[in-house]
Amino acid sequence: MSEETELMRISWGPQHPMSGQFRLILETDGERVTKIIPDLGFTHRGIEKILEFRNFVQGIVPIERLSMLDAANFNLAYVRAVEELADIEVPERAKYIRNILCEISRINSHLYAFGLVAEAAGGYPAVFLWTVADREPLLDLAEMLTGARWSYSFFVPGGVRADIPKGFKEKCLETLRYLENRIAKYKECWLDNKVFKARTVGVAYLSPKDAIRLGAVGPNLRSSGVPLDLRKDEPYEAYGEVDFEMVVLKEGDCYARLLARYLEIVESIKIIRQAVQNMPEGPIISLPKPMKKKTETLQDLLRLAAVGRFTVPKGEALARVESARGEVDVHMITDGSAKPYRVKIISPTFRNLYVLSRLPEIEHIRVADIPVILYSFDPWYLDADR
Amino acid sequence: MDLINRIKDKFKDSILEAFELKPKRVVVKVSPSKLKELARFLKDDLNFDYLIGAGGIDFKKENVIQVVYYLFSTTYKTLLMLKVDLPRENPVIDSLVDVWEAADYHERETWEMLGVNFVGHPNLTRLLLPEDWKEGFPLRKDFDLSPYQR
Repeated sequence: MSEETELMRISWGPQHPMSGQFRLILETDGERVTKIIPDLGFTHRGIEKILEFRNFVQGIVPIERLSMLDAANFNLAYVRAVEELADIEVPERAKYIRNILCEISRINSHLYAFGLVAEAAGGYPAVFLWTVADREPLLDLAEMLTGARWSYSFFVPGGVRADIPKGFKEKCLETLRYLENRIAKYKECWLDNKVFKARTVGVAYLSPKDAIRLGAVGPNLRSSGVPLDLRKDEPYEAYGEVDFEMVVLKEGDCYARLLARYLEIVESIKIIRQAVQNMPEGPIISLPKPMKKKTETLQDLLRLAAVGRFTVPKGEALARVESARGEVDVHMITDGSAKPYRVKIISPTFRNLYVLSRLPEIEHIRVADIPVILYSFDPWYLDADR
Repeated sequence: MDLINRIKDKFKDSILEAFELKPKRVVVKVSPSKLKELARFLKDDLNFDYLIGAGGIDFKKENVIQVVYYLFSTTYKTLLMLKVDLPRENPVIDSLVDVWEAADYHERETWEMLGVNFVGHPNLTRLLLPEDWKEGFPLRKDFDLSPYQR
């Protein structure tokens, strides 16, 4: 065998067990990767265009299809943009319920990301099975609250669809206790595992400066030492009233990106526990000021929307929400009718994949590292393609 | 606000619009010829170092395509929407990739979806649409949707 290597272009995906509905074009020199080119668009459905043809209540369904794992946060971004335009004051109780579902959604998404990295690092299918199994009690919790296991469509402009059911609080606290025990186990068996550390520590380092320059977002940005979290910077809903820490790590490698998600689960559990216990009593939905009534119910909103009378004034709004993968921005432009004129969605994966394509220190990356690196960024191609 | 005044002082008549949409959201509209100069000023002097995204809106009635850059300052924790109006028939504008590298994907998307030509972009090729797409710009208001409707 000669020592000489040759340049090669590898197409990784879209039909590959680990790639998802997505393709990476890798330029390689033997084992070395010289260039990473993400190829997007396999799941482009034109959601931004679709939203121009849906009224403000119908719109909550397509927007969730951007990120089924983390549906609640995307739903919230859309709904908040409508509320800002229509000048709706959301009742306090609804804010707390929103917080609970958003954090359930975040834990769900992080657990799944965990499993995928374990799978990608090789030899840890057990961890994937654990995380998927441990999502089950959370999905049950979400089902109890919303009636659906993941595409909740639970937030509507002005509030939420339903109040907390009987027995939810007890079940929620029980689930959180279970989850705490489980994730302690993850740390013991997996995050502290020497082999796993050898595969991830120091791999694909991203400095704070590069993270800002390339536009990394969410836990990927915070694990590079940049403290930006919208839940802290611009506390929306009830985030200002609960006590939690922003997870910021310095290391900036694959391991740190994963550890950041692990620590965020711990914080999310804290948030849910406080929200469930401190929730004020009161209404769960309110209508825009010109349509105000004495008692307001979901049916009032749906009736208005169905006959095209739920209109918002001409204007623009930019809603920012911290989803599991990072910030989601919905820029909504309206013309005074019952449908938005234009909805621009800036999604986290679209930005994180650009970081992947310009990874600094690419000379240290080998072909075998690619799956771990890709999944450490926690991509969700549906929200990148829109 | 201090931020808006500093921009207005420096660029005077080139700023067509500048206001605070709500706290931490600033909108600035600039004439196309001064876009790049303002971008450099925002980045170097006002610390808008973090580009969140870019996109566009087709205002068909006004015959305008509006390109929007969403910028964030990690120092002031403020989001600034930098807007520029371009004629609908021939929307051409200087690319800002050499100011904010992260604008790369966002400009490519805006190019294929709305037909805005970013001069000086290093790789203005298809990103989300198929490589052989020939049917126009899907996010324009006059895009023919009939082949896609059942």
